[in-house]
Amino acid sequence: MLRRILILAILAGIAGFGAFWWLTIPATVAASALPVYRPDVANGLATFNAGGCSSCHAVPKQDDRTRLGGGLAIPSPFGTFYAPNISPDQNDGIGRWTEADFVTAVMKGTSPSGTHYFPAFPYTSYQHARIEDVRDLFAYLKTLPPVAGKVRGHDLPFPFDIRRNVGIWKLLFMDIKPLVADAGRSAQWNRGAYLVNGFGHCAECHSPRNFLGGIVNAQRFAGGPNPEGEGWVPNITQKGVSDWSAKDIAYFLESGQTPDGDSAGGSMVRVIKNTSQLSPDDRDAIADYIKSLPPVDGPPRPKKEAKES
Amino acid sequence: MKRIVVVAAVLAFSAGAVVAQQDQVKQTQTMMKDNGKNAGALAAIVKGEKPYDQPTVDAALAQFEETAKKLPTLFPESIKGHKFEGDYSPSPKIWEDKAGFEQHVASFGKAVADSKGKIKNLDTLKAELSIIGKQCGGCHETFRVKKG
Repeated sequence: MLRRILILAILAGIAGFGAFWWLTIPATVAASALPVYRPDVANGLATFNAGGCSSCHAVPKQDDRTRLGGGLAIPSPFGTFYAPNISPDQNDGIGRWTEADFVTAVMKGTSPSGTHYFPAFPYTSYQHARIEDVRDLFAYLKTLPPVAGKVRGHDLPFPFDIRRNVGIWKLLFMDIKPLVADAGRSAQWNRGAYLVNGFGHCAECHSPRNFLGGIVNAQRFAGGPNPEGEGWVPNITQKGVSDWSAKDIAYFLESGQTPDGDSAGGSMVRVIKNTSQLSPDDRDAIADYIKSLPPVDGPPRPKKEAKES
Repeated sequence: MKRIVVVAAVLAFSAGAVVAQQDQVKQTQTMMKDNGKNAGALAAIVKGEKPYDQPTVDAALAQFEETAKKLPTLFPESIKGHKFEGDYSPSPKIWEDKAGFEQHVASFGKAVADSKGKIKNLDTLKAELSIIGKQCGGCHETFRVKKG
């Protein structure tokens, strides 16, 4: 009898593990799925700026945005991530990647060796990009200087360090529905929606996250505690920025200056370095879309601290 | 009796110190808000909401210059850990990386000094304000924390 139970338990364990394994198989894009295409490097640069790649992947503490040797520490409630080298270096960067490897990484969050990337890499947004934009971006990255040096591994405690678990996370929080253009809106608005939800990945910081690190969809864009540590990320729905005109938003993305003359701080400074490089049309498109976000209450803000001696 | 006097004196002294600290904090906040108002006035010109106005430009630059001079003295050790009212607080990095902070302030001061006399019309204002604005952001990126 006991033996029977034991065997059953082992079988259940194997079945469970098998199901887990099957559920967490990393998705890929096959090279055969990519039709012949002549990439547009100029659009690749625009995509690079829209995606904010250099904010995390540029070598920290130097001004060249195109030296993508990685190394920036990205703190989170789950541990510290270190942005990898995505320069075209043959050994330490992505110099040997195929185009399919790159498309898979950006749009599926799967590495060339077939493991899940952690969602600190915002593929949950990038998955909504047009595949042509991703291919243009790859062509652009290839033109940048190779930077030698492998970046250290992430510093994550158990169980967050098990990449296979990310497969479950993706099932729960990676919304694979493609971004559909809204025919009832202007071309400018649709461009804005694409930039904000795709490469711009604005919601990744400007939304509260649940205890597993998934975005709380009902409060998308409503701000919340800064996932990187101290402070608060502002609500950018009309609940938070109703007194900003579309022009104010566009000017902010260009200059980092708010309507009342204050300047952006924290991580947004890095974002402005990207958005200031976008075309004025793209900034206006983003502003148009942001201005259209219905007002949503974010998580309660911390009480204003009282005077204390 | 003696003891009471000593205790009272110490209390009075520390209360005085706290008040002084709060005054200092208020002063800093008022100064930064004035900077914001000035920068906002310049931004309004750049955005085309207001016509170009030289006195507005000169007043803003004078205030920025004053700020660059004062900033390094506004965050003494005694303020460290002090709870600030309002939307922002200084990051502990101001004290952890004092040299870095002072370097940022100096770089801001230089940008302001460089642009003095250069801004004469809308186009030059656009160009120079963008340089100065980057200085504001460059420092706020690291040394200021948004609380809520």
